[in-house]
Amino acid sequence: MIKLGQKSDAKDLRPRIIGVGVFFVVGLLVLSINLYRLMVVRYEEFNALSVDNQFKDVRLRAPRGLIRDRRGEVLVDARPSLDVFITPAFCQKCAAEVIPRLAEVLQWDEEQRARVEALVKAAHGPQRYQPLIASVDISREAFDQLLARQFLLPGVDLEPVPHRSYRAGPTLAHILGYMNEITQDELTRLNGSAERPPYALGDYIGRRGVERSFEHELRGTDGWVKHVVNARGEVMRDARGNVLRGGQSVSPAPGRNVVLSLDARLQAEAERAFPGTAGAVIAIETKTGFIRAIVSRPAFDPNEMTGRVSPKRLGQLNQDPLQPMVFRAGAEHYHPGSTFKLVTLLAALQAGTVTPSSQVGCNGGYTLGSRRWRCHNERGHGLVDAKRAVQVSCDTYFYRASDQLGIDPIATMGKAFGLGAITNLGVAAEVPGVMPDSAYHHKVTPGGYTKGMALNTAIGQGDVNVTPLQLAVLYSAIGNKGRVLQPQIVQRLESPDGKTLEAFSAKLVREIPMTDDQHRLLIDALISVVNEPGGTATRIRSNEYTIAGKTGTAQVARLGQVRLKKEQMDYFERDHAWFASFAPAEDPELTVVVLNEHGGHGGSDAAPTAAAVFAKYFELKKADSFALGEEWIPPRPPKPVLFAKPAAAPPEVSEPGLAGDVPPPPETTVQASPPAPGGGQ
Amino acid sequence: MELSAERRSVSQMPWLVLLATVLTAAVGIYNLASASRPPSAPMWSSQIAYFFVGAAVAAVVAWVDPKLLERLAIPIYLVNLGALVALKFFGHKAKGAESWFVLGPLRVQPAEFMKIGMLLMLAKYFQDDFRPQQPAYGFLRLIPPAVIALIPTGLVLVQPDLGTALMMAFTTMTVLLFARPTVAVWIVLGVLALAGVGVLWNDYVRTQATEPRFTVIRHKLKKHQDARITGWLDPTSDLKGSNYHAMQSKIAVGSGGVNGKGWMEGTQTGLRYLPEQHTDFIFSVFAEEQGYLKCVGLLVLYALLLLGALGVAATAKDRFGAFVAVGVAAMIFWQVFENIGMVTGLLPITGITLPLMSYGGSSMVSVLTGIGLLVNVSLKRQRSTL
Repeated sequence: MIKLGQKSDAKDLRPRIIGVGVFFVVGLLVLSINLYRLMVVRYEEFNALSVDNQFKDVRLRAPRGLIRDRRGEVLVDARPSLDVFITPAFCQKCAAEVIPRLAEVLQWDEEQRARVEALVKAAHGPQRYQPLIASVDISREAFDQLLARQFLLPGVDLEPVPHRSYRAGPTLAHILGYMNEITQDELTRLNGSAERPPYALGDYIGRRGVERSFEHELRGTDGWVKHVVNARGEVMRDARGNVLRGGQSVSPAPGRNVVLSLDARLQAEAERAFPGTAGAVIAIETKTGFIRAIVSRPAFDPNEMTGRVSPKRLGQLNQDPLQPMVFRAGAEHYHPGSTFKLVTLLAALQAGTVTPSSQVGCNGGYTLGSRRWRCHNERGHGLVDAKRAVQVSCDTYFYRASDQLGIDPIATMGKAFGLGAITNLGVAAEVPGVMPDSAYHHKVTPGGYTKGMALNTAIGQGDVNVTPLQLAVLYSAIGNKGRVLQPQIVQRLESPDGKTLEAFSAKLVREIPMTDDQHRLLIDALISVVNEPGGTATRIRSNEYTIAGKTGTAQVARLGQVRLKKEQMDYFERDHAWFASFAPAEDPELTVVVLNEHGGHGGSDAAPTAAAVFAKYFELKKADSFALGEEWIPPRPPKPVLFAKPAAAPPEVSEPGLAGDVPPPPETTVQASPPAPGGGQ
Repeated sequence: MELSAERRSVSQMPWLVLLATVLTAAVGIYNLASASRPPSAPMWSSQIAYFFVGAAVAAVVAWVDPKLLERLAIPIYLVNLGALVALKFFGHKAKGAESWFVLGPLRVQPAEFMKIGMLLMLAKYFQDDFRPQQPAYGFLRLIPPAVIALIPTGLVLVQPDLGTALMMAFTTMTVLLFARPTVAVWIVLGVLALAGVGVLWNDYVRTQATEPRFTVIRHKLKKHQDARITGWLDPTSDLKGSNYHAMQSKIAVGSGGVNGKGWMEGTQTGLRYLPEQHTDFIFSVFAEEQGYLKCVGLLVLYALLLLGALGVAATAKDRFGAFVAVGVAAMIFWQVFENIGMVTGLLPITGITLPLMSYGGSSMVSVLTGIGLLVNVSLKRQRSTL
C-alpha cells in the first residue's frame, strides 16, 4: 500500500508547528487576561449587577388606618375582596379567548370588556409583567367558576385584596368619603422623584371626606421585600412553594387611625329621627365645635363607590334630581329664614337702634316707600318687644329694625358669625354661602342696593344664604356668648395599637363682643321659642333640660334651570324647614341644627328631630357617666310655665320680601301643649 | 508481528490529547448538570450519551487506514457540501437559521461535520501539492485551498450561521498561514487586515460631522448584525435590547469572582438571565459558578489539548497527517477563542459552541471525530514505518 517514494517529509513543518503553538498559547492567554479583568478586577461591579438582577423589590402594602368614632367604634375598616388580575405577558390569546371567557363568567358589559382589552393592549415592555386589575370584588360564585377554569385562563390571577368597608353604608358617606383608583396625573404628582414611590398604578386613593383629607395619615408607609425573580420577572419559590426572599426588607408601617368626634349612637338616632327626604342634621359641641352627629341626606353608598361603581351608575347618581353626591350640611346653601333674625337683633342691639324693652307695633306688615312688606301673621302681633319678636317670629319688628339699620350692620354681624365664608371643617367640600351687603348688591343686583333688600335680609330671605354647618356655628356662638368656633370632626389620630398620637383641640375663630344683657336677651328669647306659651317650637319643650332654639321656614327660590316632572314639581316648590337650637340653655353643651329640605315648617318638620337628638344626647350622657362611675349631675329643668290654650296660632314667618306678590306659606299652628320627650309637667 | 504492531500503536496513543479531552468533557457534563438544573430537563445524561456516541465515531475514525482516509477526503468533502446545499431545501428552520436536518428524533447540524470534511480536503491538497523545491506558497497555489474553504464557508454563512462561518474562515486562514505562504502573501494579508480594521473604525468608531455618516459596509449589514457590532464596540449601549445578552453574559462571568458562586449556585444561571445557557453561553455558567481560578484551569485543559494535537502534528510522518492535526487543533482553538471571547465581550456575539462543554450531539460528535483524527494521525506514524 505505502509507496515510500511518495512519502512526504513533514519535518520541515516543525518550526511552524511551534509557531502555531505559540499563537494558540497567546490566544488563550488573551482570554485569561480578559477573564481576569472581568472576574477579578471588575468583580464588585458585576456582582452588584447580578444581585440587582435577581432581586425585585416587592411592595408590602401597609394596612390602611381605621376610622373610628369618639368611643372607638369602627366606622371604616377593611374586608377581603376577591379581585381578578391579568398579567399581559403571561396572558396568551388574551383578547381572543381569555377576556371573552372572563367577560362571560363575570357578566361584563361591552364597555367593561373594551376597557380591559385596552388596558391589556396598552401594556408595553416591562409593564407587561405587572398584573393589571381587571375586575374587583367579584362574587364568591364567580370566583369558584373562574378557579375551576383557571387552566383556560393563562395570566389571570385571583387574589383576595383588602378593600375598604364602610360599615354603616350611606350614613356619613359625605364625611367619610370613599376611595378609588389613582390617576396617572396624581401618580406623577404624588410620587415625584422618590426612590421608593409611595403610590403604584392601580392603588386606591381617598376621594372626598376623611379618606381624602387624611389620606396621608391613613395610608401609612408601604414596606418592601426583595423577592428572587427570574429573567421573566416571575417570583421564584422554593420546593415547598414559599416565596424566596433575599436581602434586607422594610416592614410596612400601618396607617394611623383617625378618630372622629362623632358618637355613632347619636348619629344613628339623628338618622332615625330625621324625617326628610333631603336635608341635614348637625349636632355639634357648643363649646368646642366638635361634631357629634352629622346627617346629610340623601347620600350614596361609599362601598359602592369604592372600586366597583360603573360609569353608568355614576351617571345615575350625578343626574338624580335629589343630588345624593352633594354634601348638604356644608356644600349647599339655603335661605336661613327666621333663624337669621337673631343676627339682625344683635346687630340692632349693638347699633343701639333697638333696646331690649323698645316695642314695635305689628299690624301685619311694614310699609317702606310705596311697598308693603307683610308679616306672616296678617292680623299682626300687636306690640312686640325684642324677646316677643323672636318668640313669635314677628317679621314686622325686624323690617323696622333693618329699615333703621340698613343692610351693612346686619351683614357685618353675619360675617362676624362666619356667614359668607366656609367654616373650614376641612374634611368635606364647603360653599361659602352669601352674606349680602350694599357693596354686594351694587355689584350683582341690577339697579344696585335699595333699602328693601335690607328688609328681606333681616328675616333671612333675599340673597342671604347659609349652610347648615354655618348655622350650627352661628348658634353655638350665640350659646357661647359670641365665641365663634371652627367646627371639627376629627378628634385625634391614633397609632394602630390605639395610642393617641395627636389630639386636636377647639379652635376659636373670633369673639363677637356682646354685653351680658344682650347675651341674656338672646338666650331668653330662644328659650321662650321652645318653652313659653306662644313660642313657635313649644311642641318640643322638655321638662328635664331647657332647649333654646329658633324655627325657620325658608321660601324656596324657583328652580328655573332643571326641568322637573310634574309630581316632583310640588316637592321642589315646598319650603325648607329649619330648626337651630342648643341645650341646656343656661350652659349649652350641644348645638343641633336641622334642615328639612322642602320639608315644610320649622316647628313641625325640623324641631322634633332636634328634640330627639337632645333626648338621646342626655340619655347617653347619663348612661356613660354611670358606666364610668362618675357622678351624674342632671341638667337644670326649665322654669315651669303655665300653658294656656293659645288664642291665636302663633305662626311663623317666611316672607319673601322682594316677591311681595307671593303669599307667604301658612305656618302650622304650634300646639300649645308640652309634649316634649320626658313627659308633661 | 501483528501483535507487536498492536502493542506499539497503543504505546503511540496521544495520551495527553485523550486525557485533556476526557477531563474537559467530564467538566462539561458536570457543568451542564448545573446549567440544566430543574425546572429544565436534565441534559447532562444525554450529553453523556452523546459523548459515547462521539467516542465510538472517534474510535472508528482512529482505526481507519490513513490512506483510505486520505482517499476518502474528496468524497467526504463532496457529501458534506451536498448536505449543506440540501439543507437549503429540506432544512429545519430554528431561530432564524436553517442549520438542522431533522431525522426522526435526531437533529443533525451538517455544518459541524462540514468542518471535518473541509479540513481533510485541505490536508489532502497540501499533501498532494507539496513541492520540496518550492516550499513557499504564492498566490496562485493558494487559490485551490481558498476555494476549497470558501465554498462551504459561504454555504454556512448564508444559513445564516455567522459564528461557524467565521470559525471556518479563521481555521482555514490558520492552515494556510501554517502552509508557509510567501512574504508577498503575508504582506497582502496584513494590508487586508488593516483595511478591515480601518473600515470598522470608519463605520463605527470615528465621529463624523456629516449626517448620514459615510460608511463602507455598515449600510449593507442587516439591522441585528449592525447592532451586534455596535454592542461589541460599545458595551453600554442598548442594554435592554440588542446588547442585553452580551451584558447579562458579562454580568454572569464577572460576578463569578475568583472562586465562583458554587455549583448550582449561579444566580444568573438559575434565574435564566442567560440566553442559550446550555449551548453557546455555557462558559458563562461555568465562570459564574466556578470562578476565575477554575476558568484558568479549563483554559489550561484546552491548552494541553491543543499542544497535544500540535505534538501529534509534529510527529506526523506525512504532510497530510500534519495538516489534519494542525487543522483539528486550529478548529478547536478558534471555537474556544470565539466562544469565550464572545461570552466575555471581547468579540461580537455570534453563535458558536464551546468544544466539549456546550450541550449538543453534533458539536460533541464533530469535536470527538477531530480527536479521532488526531489519534489516527498519531498511530499512522508507527504503521507507516513498519
